[in-house]
Amino acid sequence: MGAAPNVNTNPLLDRKLINAFVDGVTRTLATMASTETTTGAPTIEKEFSTKGDVAGLIGMVAGTMKGTLTISFEKEAVFQILENMLGEKYTELNDQVADAVGELTNMIYGCAKTALNEMGYGFEMAIPTVVMGKARIKSFHTGATLVIPFTCTTGKFFIEITVQT
Amino acid sequence: MFAPETKFLVIDDFATMRKIIKKVLAELGFKNVQEADDGKTALPMLKSAANEGSPYQVIISDWNMPGLAGIDLLKACKLDPQLKGTPFMMVTAESEQNNIIEAAKAGVSDYVVKPFNAATLKTKLTNMYKKHAA
Repeated sequence: MGAAPNVNTNPLLDRKLINAFVDGVTRTLATMASTETTTGAPTIEKEFSTKGDVAGLIGMVAGTMKGTLTISFEKEAVFQILENMLGEKYTELNDQVADAVGELTNMIYGCAKTALNEMGYGFEMAIPTVVMGKARIKSFHTGATLVIPFTCTTGKFFIEITVQT
Repeated sequence: MFAPETKFLVIDDFATMRKIIKKVLAELGFKNVQEADDGKTALPMLKSAANEGSPYQVIISDWNMPGLAGIDLLKACKLDPQLKGTPFMMVTAESEQNNIIEAAKAGVSDYVVKPFNAATLKTKLTNMYKKHAA
């Protein structure tokens, strides 16, 4: 167990938090789906705005800190990832795609949570929710959002983190 | 290694993970694989199969499920005289030391941390077979 993180630091600006999620994405997609990804520069946006066509959301709770992790995929990106992972071709957003996005969210959060908790955070595990459609995603979020973009060969996907301390 | 006709129960609330595990088991030659979407659904399946004289021979379960978590299913199995000897593998995103210790204390046979690949699952299954055959 490492030293407890500085509670005065804005979690969205914490390099360790960013690295934990980037590593979670990279490891999960490389191991489960043999998919290589390129990570773009993280940015902070004033308000949450929908970026993908399907998203997995998970509540992040660590003591008094509450946040939401959203992993939103452009459909072309998720179709490629699922084909690599399951050996089946997908061409439309359906319940199977939603289920797979939920499981990917679960694994990526699990990886990041383990790394962060070893540094002294106390994130708890939670069960993800999946939404398809941009209007519905927006209502889950308020405030500043950390956005980390990723690219695979057919499209983009995004990690988005909002935090209330 | 387990015989090809070994009867597996794969338990996960996400159909995708059940599909991935079934795919790996099929690649390893195991075709007698059934599924449950939660510990709460799995427990009566395990009991009735045992009562009918056709018990599941390997349980592969997720940890984090809404109705009955994998760790509670494991504990319930270990308290049941008919189920306590069944090899129980946990496949989970819960990879912190305290989780692994809790599962070990509860009697888990082996523990696979997500994300994993087919080679890892095969190695863990082989280890589990050796442990239970000993």
